[in-house]
This record gives sequence, structure tokens and C-alpha cells, in this order.
Amino acid sequence: MTGIDLDLAPARRQRTLRSPVVTEWKLHGRSHARIHRTREGFLMRFPQVADFHISRDGSHVSTRPAPGVETPSLYNVYLSQVLPMALSRRGRLVFHASAVEVDGCAIAFMGASGRGKSTLAAAFATAGFPFLTDDGLFVEVANGAASVVPGHPSLRLWGDSGEALLGPEPGLEDGKSRILSGDRIAHCTTPRPLRRIYLIDEADDAGIAIGPLAGAPAFTALAAHSFLLADGDARLLEGHFEGLAALAGAGLCASLRYPRRYERLAEVRAAVLADSRSPRA
Amino acid sequence: MNLDDRAAIPPEVLVRQLGEETVILDLASGTYFGLDESGTRIWQLLQQGATLREVCNAMLAEFDAAPQDIERDVLDLARELSGRGLIRIA
Repeated sequence: MTGIDLDLAPARRQRTLRSPVVTEWKLHGRSHARIHRTREGFLMRFPQVADFHISRDGSHVSTRPAPGVETPSLYNVYLSQVLPMALSRRGRLVFHASAVEVDGCAIAFMGASGRGKSTLAAAFATAGFPFLTDDGLFVEVANGAASVVPGHPSLRLWGDSGEALLGPEPGLEDGKSRILSGDRIAHCTTPRPLRRIYLIDEADDAGIAIGPLAGAPAFTALAAHSFLLADGDARLLEGHFEGLAALAGAGLCASLRYPRRYERLAEVRAAVLADSRSPRA
Repeated sequence: MNLDDRAAIPPEVLVRQLGEETVILDLASGTYFGLDESGTRIWQLLQQGATLREVCNAMLAEFDAAPQDIERDVLDLARELSGRGLIRIA
């Protein structure tokens, strides 16, 4: 499975860090998180939210929240951003993507934040196709075959997406809410062979378009949406490169362009189902 | 850099061909680089030990393009690969 226990320390105000910065994540041009190299491994700092310590081998994660940060917020950050990085230290292939189960196989939706990965996963889940993951897509490649390992049994949806797909739901807020699997949205709990990866393009009001994506462009797209905390570790870099090349060369990738309108989601789902059930070109 | 130069590929550079295209990993910097079909052919010829002039002649025989365009493309790519540390010119 994909879990690593998270050890929680009491809240404390964040102190200035002097350890070297390995990488920095920016969101809308502003620093969102910094990863520092420490004696024991790495420290991921989310300003005003929490510090997460990741052991060098990725087997252990602990956190110290900033004062006033609530536990659900802490776990959201952990599941969607810290755990994938920790797993990448263990040589796992992890992507910024959601996935659902169709006909016993996994189909994944990959793309930048706000492209609709969670909404698509929810659109399938509410139509009887259990979701495998929302926050991070864990892929295993063995003997030339790729499979998806289930992630956390919850979907994170914006309030309007949640209401459009699930109807009025207790706990849905204007911002993003985490909705646990249950009677209305089932979670697939066993690994499934990976059949397709849809790279979500920018919105297109003209219609729904699915096209093949192969070779170097597929590799580049997969790399852009993958998590990797290599910090110069040649073994991790090589494993990541081989994994991406295997996926890009397997003919699993396709581009997906569609209008971002809730009333068109059923059409998008039908188009994806038809494509995923068709033989590869 | 001139047309009589050859290229050597450093040991820390990993290469995989995907169909008619190629992806390259530089372990030293941790960065990826992609080559399209013609770039892949140039890379293959360089890997075989051809001089840049021999690469140009082979590309001229295989692709429908003017000699000056091919020479410019080969030199541009060789400079870019060299600048990224993916080949060493000798």
C-alpha cells in the first residue's frame, strides 16, 4: 500500500531555517513550499502551515504544525504533497493525478492544479466507477506492465463541483472539501492494471477531443506531473527515468480536451469510456 | 565547433528511444531532454562516431531539406547538446 504513518509533534511557531534549499514550489508566483536538506533527510516547509520531516530513505515522516492549523488541513497537505515526495524517495512512481476503475482496469486523469482531475474522478465515481485515488497516483511498473495502487479513500472537491455531482452534502464548503468514500462514491481498494492516462488540456468550449500522445511529448508530460525528491541521487533519477520511459513507450497516454461545464460531464465520461474501451492505435 | 568535430557521450547520460523520438537524462543535473525524429537521427549518427560533416551528409541523403538548412540544424543541435553537457565535442 501507499501509506506512511505520520508522527505529529505539538504546534510551534516556525523558526528561520539555515539548512540548504533543495527546491522551491511556487503557486501563482509566490513561494508555496520549500524543501531543505537536513542531516537526517529533508524538511518540507509550508509557511504558516507546517514543517514535515522526511527521512532520507522516505520511510518515516513527522510533522510539526504552526499554531492554529487544524488537523484536517495538515492531513490534506500531507496526503497531497508530502506523502508523494516521501514515496518518491523509496523509488516509487508518483504522479499528480486521479484514477478510477473501469472494467477492472485503471484509467488516470493527469494535469496541473485546477484542470479538473478530481471533478472527473467524482463524475465517474458517482456513475458507479469506483475511484482509486485523487491526490496522488501511485504506479508500479513490473515486467513491462503498469498497475495503479489505491490511494486514500477520499476525494477533494471544490464546493460547486461537489454540489453539482453529489447534490447538497453536509460538510461541503465554498473551498475544497475532502469527501470520504461511502455508499455514493465507492473506492477501489485493490491494485488495478493501468489502461490509459489522460493528460488534461486547457478547457475547450468547442467540444470534447481525445488524441494520442506518445514518444517524447508523452514522456515530457509524465515528467511534468510526477513527484521526485532525488536531490542528485543517481539511483532514484535512473529509476524514475526508466519508469517514465516505460509508461511513455507503452502507448497508454492520450490528451483530453473538453468544456469545463458540469452539464457536459456525462458526455466527457461517455467519450472517455468509449476511448478507454477501444483498442490502442 | 566545426564540421570535422566528433561527439562523445558522457557516461552520466542515459538515453531511451521511444518510437522515432528519444529522451535523454543527464544524471549530473537531473534534467531531461527530448529529441524529435530528426534530432534522434543526428544523435544516433553522433553516437556511432560520425563527424558533424558526416552527420550532415547522411541527413542530406535521408531527409528532404536544403544542405545549408541541414548544416545549420546539425550545428545548432550539437551546440545545444554540448551546452547542456549531453555531449562532449572532440
